Amino acid sequence: MTETIAETQTETVPKGRYSGKVDIGLKTPKYLVELAQVSKHFGSNHVLKGVSLRVKPGEVCSIIGPSGAGKSTLLRCINLLETPDSGNMVVAGQYVDLGKPQDRRALLSLRRNVGMVFQSFNLFPHLTVMDNIALPQRRVLKRTEAEAKEHGMELLERVGLADKADSYPAKISGGQQQRVAIARALALEPKAMLFDEPTSALDPELAQEVLTVMKEVASSGMTMLVVTHEMNFARNVGDHLVVMEDGAIIEEGDPEQIMSDPAQERTRQFLAAVINH
Amino acid sequence: MSGFLAVLAAIPITLLVTVGAFIVGFILALGLVLMRRSKHRWLSFPARAFIDLARGIPPIVWLFFLFFGLSMGAIKLDALQAGILGLGVVSSGYLAEIFRGGLLAVHRGQYEAGEALGLSAWTRYSKIIAPQAFKAMLPAMATYFIGLVKDSSIASVIGVKEMVFTANQYARQDAETGIYTFFLAAVIYIAVSIPFAVVARRMESKLQESGAR
Ligand SMILES: Nc1ncnc2c1ncn2[C@@H]1O[C@H](COP(=O)(O)OP(=O)(O)OP(=O)(O)O)[C@@H](O)[C@H]1O
Ligand SMILES: [Mg+2]
Repeated sequence: MTETIAETQTETVPKGRYSGKVDIGLKTPKYLVELAQVSKHFGSNHVLKGVSLRVKPGEVCSIIGPSGAGKSTLLRCINLLETPDSGNMVVAGQYVDLGKPQDRRALLSLRRNVGMVFQSFNLFPHLTVMDNIALPQRRVLKRTEAEAKEHGMELLERVGLADKADSYPAKISGGQQQRVAIARALALEPKAMLFDEPTSALDPELAQEVLTVMKEVASSGMTMLVVTHEMNFARNVGDHLVVMEDGAIIEEGDPEQIMSDPAQERTRQFLAAVINH
Repeated sequence: MSGFLAVLAAIPITLLVTVGAFIVGFILALGLVLMRRSKHRWLSFPARAFIDLARGIPPIVWLFFLFFGLSMGAIKLDALQAGILGLGVVSSGYLAEIFRGGLLAVHRGQYEAGEALGLSAWTRYSKIIAPQAFKAMLPAMATYFIGLVKDSSIASVIGVKEMVFTANQYARQDAETGIYTFFLAAVIYIAVSIPFAVVARRMESKLQESGAR
């Protein structure tokens, strides 16, 4: 007897409304993130051509591929920073029909479950490091200031930046800013985290300290989707590797397997280009 | 001598017109900029049209229109009310564009980070966007305000008894000393503007130090 998504989701979505629509691989609740036939245009540019993807709880899924493949767009569709044209998804038990406009409450509950880390950090420059981490907790989780700060301090210790709590973002290094951004996202206790090239804006040593933190987050059991050019991270930390090109997944599977013996010629070319770099 | 005293006594009216128009303009501009940025054309188009009219029609025409035009209709405005409202409407057009520039100066990533964290629209705007936009638009806003101190003198044409109106009254009575009342008014405009400019500059550098990008 297979469980349907409807059974896991009875509180938020009435069964009848979508039970007929979930037809493409969205059958089992053993995935934390499931995308089915996600499609997105920018004008006439077909950027995602019906992408389907499943990520298990606690899994680290790395997404690689050439520039313009649609990696960022795919990630941004998961927390609805971009609005797909069509498709379905289930994220942390929440079913989303991507073809429809989302109501505000569904949007907020989705984003509450999904943290995001950007290439450009996007810390709030007018707030101290601690306030960057405390403000969202107070507003989203309704924690008191004391709770938010206590929790914030624990997270800053976890990313090794407890001494920077009172600094402004502009006064710390890029690597430190990105670690704060990770702490800020973790503070909301997300069920999954999206990373869009989190180290691409950083010098190698600074990138390394961010990768170390990400590795620790992965080992704590966080479900992670990571768009990256860091092949070592994808190989050593990643559990699953997805290769995208031209709006579609061209290959996916075990990172070690794909990197040593890709099935697609295009993957081989891409890997050669990245690794020789 | 009594002319000088009368001009001094008119300072509060000049300030009242200036501050009143600025507040009216500020409040209208908040609404206008939100409408202007809406993705719904039925909201953005009227806002755009209003902003263009507010800035495109000379202030003096706005004042005549509100004072004489509305007086023919049901609403009766006295000169002071019409002066504040008219200059407020004009200010709203300029301030709305200043606000829009300020909002555009905030990096797109700031909006996205706020959304990705699940912050409500109210929190995003009040806690994240507005403080950064305010910093970006403070110089333009201060410049506009100081300009408005002087431009409030336009209200004299509909009989608001501010400094220029008062100086003019005395100049007409006594052409010889009258020029000195205007001279006094000029000195007062400068004297009022300078402290505002200094305060604005202080605020700017203070904001620069704290949030430093
Ligand atoms: N906001 C947008 N408006 C219009 N086109 C866009 C927008 N964002 C992305 N695109 C286009 O969509 C395509 C996919 O972009 P996307 O950023 O997802 O690629 P990517 O795989 O992340 O590339 P990169 O490695 O350069 O980050 C590109 O052709 C890009 O030009
Ligand atoms: Mg990208």
